[in-house]
Amino acid sequence: MKKKFLSLLLVAAMAVTAVGCGSGSSTSGTDSGAGADAGSNEQAAAPAESAAPAEEASDIEKPDSITIMVDGTVFTQENGQEQFIAKIEELTGISDIKVIQPDHDAYYDVLGQTIASGDWPDVLIASSTYYSAYAAEGVLWDMTDMWEGSDLQARQKAYNADGVVEGMKIDGRLYGMPAARGNGCMTYVKKAWLDAVGMDVPTNFDEYYAMLQAFTTQDPDGDGKNDTYGVSAAGFIGGEAPYINYLAEFYQDAYPSFYQKDDGTWVDGFTEDSMKGAMERLARAYSDGVIDPTTLTNGTSDCRNKFYADEFGVFTYWAGTWATNLKTNLDANGVDSELIALPPLAEVGKYLDRIPPVWCITTKCANPEGVYKYFIETMQDGGETQFAWTYGVEGTHWSTAAETLWEGAENETTYAEGEFHMLPNLEKPETAYTKAHIDPMLALTDLTAYPAGVTENPMDKAVAEEAKNSANVFAENCVSAVLVPSTDVLTQLNGDLTTLKNQLIADVTMGKITVDEAYAQFESDGGADWSKQIVDSLNAQ
Amino acid sequence: MFLPVFIFACVFNYLPMIGIRYAFTNYNGIKEPVFNGFENFQRMFSMVNFWKAFTNTIVISVVKLLLTTAFAVVVSLFLNEIVNLHFKKVVQTIIYLPHFMSWVVTASIFSLILAPTSHGLVNTFLVNVGILGEDQMIYFLGSTKWWRFAYYLINIWKETGWQTVIFMATLSGINTELYEAASIDGAGRWGKMRYITFPAVANTILTVIILNLAKVMNLFESAFVLQNDAVLDTANVLETYIYYQTFNSGSIPNYGYTTAIGLFKSIVGCVLVLVCNQWSKKVRDGRGIV
Amino acid sequence: MKKKKISVFSVVNGLIFILLALIILVPMWKVLVDSFDLQTAYGMKLWPEKLGLAGYESVFSNPTLSRPLIISFVTTICGTLLALALCTMGAYVLIQWDMPGRTFFANFLLFTMIFNGGMIPTYLVLKALHLTNTLLVVILFPALNVYNLVLMRNFFEGIPASLFESAKLDGCSPMQTFIRIVLPMSKAALASIGLMYAVTYWNDYTHYKLYITDSRWYNFQMKLRGMTMGSDLPQAVGSATENTVKNAAIIVVILPFMIAYPFLQKYFVKGVNVGAVKE
Repeated sequence: MKKKFLSLLLVAAMAVTAVGCGSGSSTSGTDSGAGADAGSNEQAAAPAESAAPAEEASDIEKPDSITIMVDGTVFTQENGQEQFIAKIEELTGISDIKVIQPDHDAYYDVLGQTIASGDWPDVLIASSTYYSAYAAEGVLWDMTDMWEGSDLQARQKAYNADGVVEGMKIDGRLYGMPAARGNGCMTYVKKAWLDAVGMDVPTNFDEYYAMLQAFTTQDPDGDGKNDTYGVSAAGFIGGEAPYINYLAEFYQDAYPSFYQKDDGTWVDGFTEDSMKGAMERLARAYSDGVIDPTTLTNGTSDCRNKFYADEFGVFTYWAGTWATNLKTNLDANGVDSELIALPPLAEVGKYLDRIPPVWCITTKCANPEGVYKYFIETMQDGGETQFAWTYGVEGTHWSTAAETLWEGAENETTYAEGEFHMLPNLEKPETAYTKAHIDPMLALTDLTAYPAGVTENPMDKAVAEEAKNSANVFAENCVSAVLVPSTDVLTQLNGDLTTLKNQLIADVTMGKITVDEAYAQFESDGGADWSKQIVDSLNAQ
Repeated sequence: MFLPVFIFACVFNYLPMIGIRYAFTNYNGIKEPVFNGFENFQRMFSMVNFWKAFTNTIVISVVKLLLTTAFAVVVSLFLNEIVNLHFKKVVQTIIYLPHFMSWVVTASIFSLILAPTSHGLVNTFLVNVGILGEDQMIYFLGSTKWWRFAYYLINIWKETGWQTVIFMATLSGINTELYEAASIDGAGRWGKMRYITFPAVANTILTVIILNLAKVMNLFESAFVLQNDAVLDTANVLETYIYYQTFNSGSIPNYGYTTAIGLFKSIVGCVLVLVCNQWSKKVRDGRGIV
Repeated sequence: MKKKKISVFSVVNGLIFILLALIILVPMWKVLVDSFDLQTAYGMKLWPEKLGLAGYESVFSNPTLSRPLIISFVTTICGTLLALALCTMGAYVLIQWDMPGRTFFANFLLFTMIFNGGMIPTYLVLKALHLTNTLLVVILFPALNVYNLVLMRNFFEGIPASLFESAKLDGCSPMQTFIRIVLPMSKAALASIGLMYAVTYWNDYTHYKLYITDSRWYNFQMKLRGMTMGSDLPQAVGSATENTVKNAAIIVVILPFMIAYPFLQKYFVKGVNVGAVKE
């Protein structure tokens, strides 16, 4: 089994560098034009064909009943799962879809148990680690032949987003279908603070650093106290790939873990000179006091609270929906909530897009072709089924009826007849739903046909302006993260190696040791040796 | 009477134990386990920092156990002397509440209280009373020198009150006649505490400590939420160490390997319990804790 | 003269406890203040800056909370009773010092406390018993707790031997002795260990997480956990930030124990009247 692992080379790595996330740019293009021609017959007609594919592919039998295992990213029972699944059954013609939905936090524990029990579902959602391991062990059905040349592939290509699927191939074979991009972190700057210190949006590191210094010393919150700093994060380095995403401006081109060079060889970014530069920048920021002095012990919720409490001005966090979340929390806290979604600095180049989770069919599924055709592919049909996977069910999750929501509350809103809007969350009635399973900002295919009564792409109505803006800035400026294949040596040594690296980064940043001392310790503690062994094992594949 | 207990133990404890055999196999929960002898154990012992993590666990766990128990005993003994019942109830309830805070929340609050900034209550206090200079604030949770101290402190805060529950119950079981007899003999408050109250709880103290020794190696959540990159030298315990190993391995957990680690932890716990139980038998005229 | 001495001690003792309670309250106070404060600030505050109940309103506006609350009560009550039954019976067997096989039984139980089969085999057994996705699993599975059983034995051991002897002379069967002497003599033990079980059942989420995939059977703790921990982050609601909602949820989790404990404490009253039980 381990040999199989060894032989496993995730092609993701190769496809990666080329995979920009162009989908975003076309998204914004569609947005602006959608209003004008979305209702035209031409657009509505196209997906109608794909919604009734039975005639085209009569050799593929439609499955009667399937079991799917999903995490918390699909509607829970309390949030209208029953209506949602009924809608999907109606649209796909699969008469019985049985949902197993463990608690979101325990999803992978339960998935492991379920696979071990031998009682496999037909369809499951898997993260990149589980995806590659399960594919190598023969749990997942190879869907490459169904994907190549499919309508879905064409639609994703037309949306300039087929690279995401290409990036999921393992040795040229595809075992799972992403429903959307993975999303990543980008930097938000408080506009009010920038105005207060009279600076422009930074475009390079020097300007960025000057801004942090101004935020630290020039009392940007105007309370007359010297109680602010430039930037904060939960730790100097992230705990999981892509590690550098919470302080990207300091790391820039440095990457503290393994990646593949253009010529295909693997290297450990920690041993490269770029990393020394990154550590020096962090150490300088720490000693200048522009970075939160308790960054080391911050949790992510501590960071958010400090940001809401106007303690610091620059925060790197998730693109898209979180832009709205940050804004509403700042508003609720009475702080100026206008945030600038910062395009990457010249030195940063690109933000990193995470590897998305994928929908997989197991090899115990009786009719995998049918499940692929009628369940996996319809999810991104550009028509009503994709609409349901994106916005949910009319009357439960969204509506176009004339009504007033949250009467008497601060967020009271009145909608006219025919105006698309998301309905209040069944569990948290004070807030509205934002999406179903597919985040409209991260979709891989264009939504071109809508249910009756909806006349335009609801993205404009359903998604808040700041979220769309941040998603677009991110999408135009990101590259997909790299899947690192697992080797026995890596499994054995990478834990210790990562711990040592993180400790050295923390020690240098906090001024306990110099960069040179750190690398001497890296050598003497065995880190250099482990690193070399892992690189060799990766290159030996 | 022993039948229901026996059945429960068999069904819910012994039946799953057939899984211990996985410790000697390569098993990832997909294909049938393959026997590989002691390979999992070899792999475990060959982990670079295994023994460091092991000793960290023993030290942190045992010190934590002794400290929280000692505090709980002292607090119980003095709580027992409070005459006003309402006051006693209020105090008892207050000190037991921290037990119900999740560790994540606890970590968040204490990293604020112990912060080396003007937000940090402890540092601000130390500066104000002149023990520390303005620029000498201590990063309790971020320095290898202070981390364990802070860790023990937080544990005492969180668990002392909870542990008093069991000691208070023990104290309430002491026969009042003993106190009356002691008073007649002229024993004062301290005499009674020393010769009647303390011996009565000694048995419980010993039991609690020995029982907890079985779980010494299981230390995870409290250490995990309070540690950070800078203090892992002193703060990394076995469970967190294994967690980082698995997390950074790029592969799914190997149940054979995790079972082997579990078995190792159980054996350590078993040895500790047996040794201490033997020792306690000597102290307690031949009776062990069970 | 003696009386005066006591009062000096009591005063000092009382003052020390007031101080201790205050110190212990400081971190809790932060949660309480933040839960009522609509203005999120990072530091410690003595009082809320902008007092408001929006955090609690947000927690309780969830229309799906009542069912989990009922489930919590049912599992906690059933589980605690069952667990106490197992615990006292097992402990009673353990104090039968002359019973043949007692040592074996003791070690048999102790072994289960130290060794376990691991996550996967446990799941397979529970699945084979058709317990997964039922409330039975969260009631039955944690019911036998050897740690508490041994503590219970420890309490039983403290019952004066003379009581057992007189019971024997009166011709009581072991079962009658158990019900007429052991249980009534152990009110404090039953209260304290019962409390421990109740807390375990009420706070349980690990068993729900691993063995129940149907969220209709989730308990209160499972629901509220989402509000205080990672995955299901609370959104800002009207005038309350996520921090206010989160802290309100933490207080709601603690509240039942704050209310319940003082009632249990009447069983911890100092001294046991041995004579009364003999009747």
